[in-house]
Amino acid sequence: MNHSVLALVPALPLLASFLLPLVPGAARRLVGPLTLLAVAFIGLNLWPLVQTEPMVLAVGDFAPPLGITFYADSVSALFVIAVALVTLVLWPWSGSDAGNLDRKQSLTLILAGACGGLAVSGDLFNVYVFYELAAVASFGLAAGARTAAAQIATFRYVVIGSLCSLLALLGITLIYVQTGTVNLAHLAQLAPLKLHNPLGLAAFFMILLGLGVKAELFLVNTWAPDVYATAEARVSGLLAGLVSKLALLAVVRLLVLIFPLPEARDALLLLGMLGILSGEFAAFRARDVKRMLAWSSIAQLGAAFVAFAIPGPAGLAAGLAVALHHLLVKPALFLLADRWGGSLAQITGAARNSPVSAGLFVLFILSMLGVPPLPGFWAKYLLLSGLAAQPEGLWWLAGAIILLTTVVEAVYLFRVIGALYGRDHTVTPKTQSATAVIGSGVFAAVLLAVAFSAPLLALPLNRMAVQMADSAAYIARVLPPVLPGVAP
Amino acid sequence: MTSLDLLLILSGLTTLAGFAFGNHRAYPWLAGIVLTAQIVILASMPLPMAAGFGFEMFGHPVGWQMDGFGRFFALITLGAALASVAYTGGEWGERYAAGGKNLRWLHGALAGNVLAMLLLLASGDLIAFFIGWELTSWAGFLLMAQGGERALRAAMRYVPYAMAGAMAVLGGLVLSLTWTGTLDLSQLVMLVPGLANWKLALLLALFGTGFAIKMGLLPVHLWQTPAYAEAPGAATAFLGAISSRMGLFGFGLLLVKLITLTRLADLSFIDGLFSARDLIEWVAALTIVLPTFTALKQNDARYLLAWHGIGQSGYMLLGLVIGDATGSAGGLLHVFNHATYQAALVLSVFAVMHRTGTADLNSMGGLVTRMPLTFLVMLLGIIGLAGLPPMNGFVSKWLIYRSLMIEGRPLLFLMTVLGTLGTILSVYKLIHNTFLGQLRAEHEQIREAPWSMLVPMLALVALAFVTGVAPGLALNYVNEAQAALGLPVMAHTLGGVESPRGSLDMLWIVGVLFAGFGIGALLFYGAGGRSKRIHQLDNYAGGHFLSADVRYQYSDHFYAGLMHRIGPLYRGSFTQMEAALASANDLLASLMQAWYRQAVPALTLLIATVLGLAWMIWR
Repeated sequence: MNHSVLALVPALPLLASFLLPLVPGAARRLVGPLTLLAVAFIGLNLWPLVQTEPMVLAVGDFAPPLGITFYADSVSALFVIAVALVTLVLWPWSGSDAGNLDRKQSLTLILAGACGGLAVSGDLFNVYVFYELAAVASFGLAAGARTAAAQIATFRYVVIGSLCSLLALLGITLIYVQTGTVNLAHLAQLAPLKLHNPLGLAAFFMILLGLGVKAELFLVNTWAPDVYATAEARVSGLLAGLVSKLALLAVVRLLVLIFPLPEARDALLLLGMLGILSGEFAAFRARDVKRMLAWSSIAQLGAAFVAFAIPGPAGLAAGLAVALHHLLVKPALFLLADRWGGSLAQITGAARNSPVSAGLFVLFILSMLGVPPLPGFWAKYLLLSGLAAQPEGLWWLAGAIILLTTVVEAVYLFRVIGALYGRDHTVTPKTQSATAVIGSGVFAAVLLAVAFSAPLLALPLNRMAVQMADSAAYIARVLPPVLPGVAP
Repeated sequence: MTSLDLLLILSGLTTLAGFAFGNHRAYPWLAGIVLTAQIVILASMPLPMAAGFGFEMFGHPVGWQMDGFGRFFALITLGAALASVAYTGGEWGERYAAGGKNLRWLHGALAGNVLAMLLLLASGDLIAFFIGWELTSWAGFLLMAQGGERALRAAMRYVPYAMAGAMAVLGGLVLSLTWTGTLDLSQLVMLVPGLANWKLALLLALFGTGFAIKMGLLPVHLWQTPAYAEAPGAATAFLGAISSRMGLFGFGLLLVKLITLTRLADLSFIDGLFSARDLIEWVAALTIVLPTFTALKQNDARYLLAWHGIGQSGYMLLGLVIGDATGSAGGLLHVFNHATYQAALVLSVFAVMHRTGTADLNSMGGLVTRMPLTFLVMLLGIIGLAGLPPMNGFVSKWLIYRSLMIEGRPLLFLMTVLGTLGTILSVYKLIHNTFLGQLRAEHEQIREAPWSMLVPMLALVALAFVTGVAPGLALNYVNEAQAALGLPVMAHTLGGVESPRGSLDMLWIVGVLFAGFGIGALLFYGAGGRSKRIHQLDNYAGGHFLSADVRYQYSDHFYAGLMHRIGPLYRGSFTQMEAALASANDLLASLMQAWYRQAVPALTLLIATVLGLAWMIWR
């Protein structure tokens, strides 16, 4: 496979999104899905190739550290596949009118392109560009529900998002001023000398806050509950499930390659813990299903931050497991919450009309709570055993917080189950839409497949983590020693 | 395929069949046959028996293996399920389904509970254990939630308890792995006792919390009574008979096998004055006394029995932790004994409910003439529960008393006696208010319970009687369990214990008892057998002769005099503690929501950034 296909991962969806309005007739509705299928195809082909040797593309043949670099290891390949397929399942098939639908589809394609770009970016500049692109697309999508509540929520999102983008840009500028480069491999090489100091850490913190907006990092996540509660279900699913993971991935790349420092890990750990606490407890009092899911997603992302803070491949494996599990579960729950949003009282007895959807809901909830043998349990197991292997102190506190908040989580999630299977003759809950059932059914099938093949998946997960943790190999791959003056 | 595989496959198939066609007329028969087959397979399998399947996860093998300790509990589980299925099979199930409830879910959940427990009892490592543990909890939740609105509420109350227990166990699992590098039980047995004291104490606290919640030990017992009492009849019997004993199973593994009783005694708190072992013994003793006296105050027969279920579990744990041959045999035997009479008692209460529509002890009375066989079941059941001969409850309690005296625990012995006193008082209230005294006018047309319900009830009390007369039948399996745990094995005979430290031969005791009855009967009938038969409504109470026109049944505020003395001691402290925790939780939750509702996020962001940067720079 030619290395230049890496560029297609972001380029194809972006191109398709701009060309979409020009395609005539019924074919217009096929542009998006076909593009996403093509990206998924690229990802699937990429997967076996990058297992041993990550793939690097220097755009325009400007050798790194000059020019734009794309880099794909097995984690990137997996996320490329996930971006394409998840977007496909959450694809906007219908809209109020043709213009509206065009807009939604274009924005979704931009979002997919930006997310794909984040997965394969090899330099800070591109990370920032794709991140901004994702931000713009998600602002548009979040406001797309066209209700006053959605627009107010989006306004808050825009304010926080833009401020944090500025912060991120400031951080990147600081790094560039210090090192004169934005290439990740080059930065990784220079970091011990030039960035492992208060200035570098300050830059990291600013980028962390900047990119953390989309990753629902505590401190900069106050937009999330309102946006997820008011946006369309598929948009909430995309933002909470997919976009958050790509933002997280970008942060983790920085952490692994440039800032593998205890201070940086502590920041992730602390903010992650606060995210878990604030998310789970806020969800405990939530009376609106979508808002409850939003807060629960903040907590899950907090757990992912805590996991990625653990040094070494063990932490990356745990973080990937937590993140990928959430990627499977949360979009499906948001899809089901589309008709079952609002207060719990309104869905009392919904299991009677929609037994399959209720069953799926319970399945996802049980996995999220970490009931074995569902995948959520293995993710939690990896996370907790990773934390326990660290010296006591904050790490163990984080483990204790996770264990305790799971109890809180169980209470509010079982409240939904209780409502679904309860009886109240005064309400007639809505039946589920076919798209929600099919969409969440797809996620459930994958979840169950993972549950049954979990012992087989432990090895590849571990391999991915080891590959991702190996920063020396990253440097050597991007900056081969043939370059004069740059040692691998 | 090993016979353990076969056992688990049969159990899995029963579960599927239950969910698929549990409402079919033939299902109870089929399930009954399969359960009997499982009992035969289990009882005849050579031990230890490993399962043919298993997998490896993150470098740790996950597998299942049944030993004598697990088999003891598994046999009781299957037996309790058999009785429950049989009870549900006839009229009771028909009325349940006619009431708009789903028999498929009931049968499926019941069979699912059995499967989950078998998986738990046969676990060979901590991951398998945790899988079984969680499945047992949530299958239990499913079964509890079947009884309608109130049952669902009770089941919801169980959720935080169950999850807290599960997370405590998970925490213990992770720490065991961190400190020993293995999850395999056979290796942990060798490695855990060597850990430092604080590590053992932490493991004890974590695992112990999980197991205590399941068992309903004080102070984490509040969930159990409503959850068990409000479940539908057969489910209540099953849950009360065996479900919470999974906590005792966990304690057996943890205290005896992993930590070991000697190390437990090393973990001392106040300069060697009070050890972890003492703590557990006293928790067990308090669990005997307080819930038993709470049972005394209940006015719903189901709640009364459920409170006793909690109280009796204290005896089991106490016997196990004393840990000598006699005490541990008594504690384990009590698991079996309690299962037999408790299931019978619960089923008899539901039989009365089936006919009268109520379990309220203040709205019944005099039913003995209408439901004599059900009365017989309850009578024999309460004799067992109170721990009197000739029923089996006497044997296990005798062993525990004996061991407490021999091992020098006089105060604990007093506590158990106090508990037994409370038990006798409250079971008398149960049978009196249900069956004795005047019959109520609205119950005159009541008939005996149908045979489909009577047969399992009678079979259970027959079992409780036979194993009371010949406890050796059950002690065989108890010995096996003791051996599997590494406890000293109590030598026994068919009739009981033959030991220099105190013997018990139930064959003799029961013989003498019945001989006494015989002599009494001889004297009575020899003296002419003069008796006068009076009508049930021709009665006497409180200085007044009662007749048919003045219906009166003394039931409300049953122990008025006693309650006058001890009433002020009931303070509801545990309920208050639970409520305080819940409101603290709520307060924290509203604080957290306030964070997300803040008006000026940009300002917060600024402050956070400045603080964060300061921290990064100056740390």
